[in-house]
This record gives sequence, C-alpha cells and structure tokens, in this order.
Amino acid sequence: MDILRLPGHLFLNFLSYMGQLAALLGDMAGSLRAGGFRPRLIAHQIVAIGYGSQTVVIVTGAFTGAVFTAQTYFKFKDFGVESSVGALVAVSMCRELAPVLTGLMVAGRVGASMAADIGTMKVTEQIDALRAMGVHPVDYLVMPRFIAMLISMPLLIAESITFGLFASFLVAVYGFGVPKPWFWTHVFDHTDQTDLYCGLIKGFVFGILITIISCHQGLVTQNGAVGVGLGTTRAVVFSSLALLIVNFFLSILLNYFFPLGSGI
Amino acid sequence: MTRATIAMPETFSSPFIVITGLHKKLGSQEILRGIDLTVFKGETLMLIGPSGEGKTVLMKHIIGLMSPDKGDVLVDGIKVNGLKEREMAPVRRKMGMLFQGGALFDSLTVEGNVAFPLFESGLRDFNEIRRRVREALEVVDLDEHGQKLPVNLSGGMRKRAGIARAIVSQAQCILYDEPNSGLDPIVADVIDQMILRLQKRFGITSIVVTHDMKSVFKIANRVAFLKRGIIHFLGTPDELRQSPDKEVQDFIEGRSETTC
Repeated sequence: MDILRLPGHLFLNFLSYMGQLAALLGDMAGSLRAGGFRPRLIAHQIVAIGYGSQTVVIVTGAFTGAVFTAQTYFKFKDFGVESSVGALVAVSMCRELAPVLTGLMVAGRVGASMAADIGTMKVTEQIDALRAMGVHPVDYLVMPRFIAMLISMPLLIAESITFGLFASFLVAVYGFGVPKPWFWTHVFDHTDQTDLYCGLIKGFVFGILITIISCHQGLVTQNGAVGVGLGTTRAVVFSSLALLIVNFFLSILLNYFFPLGSGI
Repeated sequence: MTRATIAMPETFSSPFIVITGLHKKLGSQEILRGIDLTVFKGETLMLIGPSGEGKTVLMKHIIGLMSPDKGDVLVDGIKVNGLKEREMAPVRRKMGMLFQGGALFDSLTVEGNVAFPLFESGLRDFNEIRRRVREALEVVDLDEHGQKLPVNLSGGMRKRAGIARAIVSQAQCILYDEPNSGLDPIVADVIDQMILRLQKRFGITSIVVTHDMKSVFKIANRVAFLKRGIIHFLGTPDELRQSPDKEVQDFIEGRSETTC
C-alpha cells in the first residue's frame, strides 16, 4: 500500500515545491513593483558572484576547450579534417559547454553560498529581525542576488567561451600543428552571433533558476546547523538538476529561433 | 508610591496593543489557548512564566512575525493579523524588538547594525544617523566597540548591541525578549534603568519577557503570568507579590515541587 502511495506522495510534494517557488516569484514581482533597489547590495553581490567565480569559470572554460579540442582532433584526423576542429569547439562552447558547465560551477559555488548565508540568517532569527524592522526579506536578500546574477551570469559565460576558444587555439595550433589561419577561418565560417546569443540566453535562464532555487532553500531552512547543511546540499542538487533538464528544452527551443548553422 | 505600584488603568489609560482570544498551535502542540491582554501606551508590562509556555510566541504575534490560528491583535488601532507582509511595515516601524540571541546581522559591524533601522526608515542625514547610533551605543556601554563585527562580541555584548538597535529608532513600543539573560548583574541593572529612562523621557511602551524577578519588581508597571497558554495572572508587582495563587508564588520564589 505504501509503495502505491509513494508516487502520489512524491507528486504532491513536487506540486507543493513548485507552489512555493511560484510564491517566491510572486514576492519578487512585488519587490520589483515596490522599487527601492539597493545598488550597494547589488554591487556587493556582483563582486561575490562575478569576481568570486573567476577562477572556476576560467579554469573550467579553458580546460573544457582544451580537452574537447584534443578529443575532436584525434577523431577528425582519421577523416583528414583536423583543421576544422576550431569550428566544432566554437559552436559547442557557445551553445552547450560554456553555459552548462559554467552554470553547474556557479550552482555549486554561488548557489551553495546563497542557501547557506540566507539559511544561517533564518535559523539565527536575523530574517525575523529584518521583518521586525519593516524590511521585506525578499527585497533585502533575494532581489540583490537575483539582479547581480542576471548581470554576472551572461558575462561569466562569455568569459568561459573566450577562454575555451583560446585554449582550443593553443592546443590545436601549438599542440597539434593545425595551421593558424585555417583554425580561425573555420571558427569564423561556422559560428556567428546566434551561437553566442544561445549561450548568453541560457546563462540568463540558468542564473534565474540558480538564484530562485537557492534563495528558496535558504528561506525555508529549519532545525539549526543541520538544516543549513541540508538546505545547502538541496540548493546545489536541485539547481544542477533543474539546469540540466531545462537546458535540454531550452536547446530545442533556441534551435527553433536560432537554427544551428543559420548564420553560415 | 513606587513605580512598581502604579495602578492600571488610572495612570495609563490609552490602549496601544489589544489582544483578544489569541490561539496558536505549533505542530500538534497548542501553545496559546485564548490570550486576552491589553497593553497601555507608556506602560512597562513584564511577561513572566515557565519556559516553553509561549511568551516569545505571544511577542512574535504582536509584531506580526507569527499569525494566529484564531483571535486578533490590534496595534495602535490597526489589526495586525491578516495584513500582508508589505502592509505590515508601517505598523512594525512603530515598534522595536530585541531578540533572545540579539539577531545581529553578521555582515555588518555593531554600528552598521544599530544604524540599520534608521537607514531603512528613510533617514539619509548621515550626521544625524551617526549621532543617534553613538547615543544608543553609549546607553548600552558599547561606544568603544562600534567597529567590531558581531562574531567578535561576547554573548552579553551581542545582546546589548541588539538593545541599542531596538531603541535607536525611538519607536513607540519596544519588545524585549529576555533582555537580562546572560548579562552580569551590573549590566542587567543598566538595562533595567534604561527601560525606565525610555519610559520616563519618551513615554515608550515596553513589553519585556523575562525570568528575572528582581527586574520585574524594579521596573514593571504590570505583570502578566503566562501558564498553560493563558494569562494566569495579570496585575501590579505588588498584587503579584501578595497573590495567594500557589503557582504564582512558586514561580516568584523559584520553588520546584521536586524534593531531594
């Protein structure tokens, strides 16, 4: 009987969770209507999210570009088209690798930090103190993070693409001897701004997902330090899963508006 | 006549907070079972009672941090329960609250914490903010520690910084959740004197949750004894002292029924 009830129970939990996220979105819309942006807090969050993620984003982007170049080169060589390696790497970095891997890295680093910061404030009554002073927690804690993420995430993805492509160039040209002009000719012949748009739009959407999921986990934290740990873990797991699932549907949708190879 | 024997409602006749039929369940436990209480403008009401009987829960209902299952809470004529979070802000700004653990913001210095309610209420005159922060910190004897982060303060200092933050905006009513716990007797007396001074100088209404009976007899105008989710006793400190109720007397004297 319990096994039969389990799917229903899980489905109801999922609906309840979606309802809570929708309520948070509603509060965020209310916050936008109320105005009163906090530039100092937004700037502080841009530093924490954008500047603080430099190392992971650069290393992830560069080594993804490098390893993808190497693997592609080994296979392309069999067909004698190794000079086209740059084209495949550039399109893949723009449309999939940079947005998804940067999103996962940011979910791990920033999402965890958001959930832990807000969760700790919740269990130490700091959020109650905010409310007692007439400050809406969403205005003060969620919106600055949300706006900072919307600004930072596309920039981080652009940075990841740049470093990925640069690493690809180094590996292909100086590692495997692909002629420099051929590498760049293939890159520019097979990629255009629509590939970049796909990556940046994905960054925007992933930023929204990570912020809402992580801040929600922080705001519903209970049970002291154990609850903070649980909320942090959930923030990373839920953000990463949501990002990977949404990425699939987003890829299909974006390919409808910006078909692969449309700009060639 | 000592301050503690000022009778109600002759001296304080204008109600500031009116609570009627307040019920609250947390999980399966019924914490409040029908609280009726009126707090008058300018009075100091002390809430006493055994731990876990709902004193803090009652206080959180007054400032709208919790909503009742049944009953009403009126603050300065405005029904708090049923208001949306954003609609609550003007009511909350009439009050200040000291939380049990201080609830200071970790990311701000002591001065930043104390300045926070002033800034959030729309004050932008930084000289005025600095002056009021300094004054509030002097009251709690923390003026030398304004640049420290909460993590570098002792428990007592955190509580005093929380008090400075609660009083800095000169709200009409201040709610204190155990202001004396964890403080040495001298500092506890400073806090008591401060509550008295705020009442005398600015006519501030104070609601104080405490277990410190010395403080009760020193500063209370009225005392409410909360037990089993209801107001078991309500009266002046003298009436409390003379109450024939065994439970009240056991609490005042700190007598348990356990014998060795």
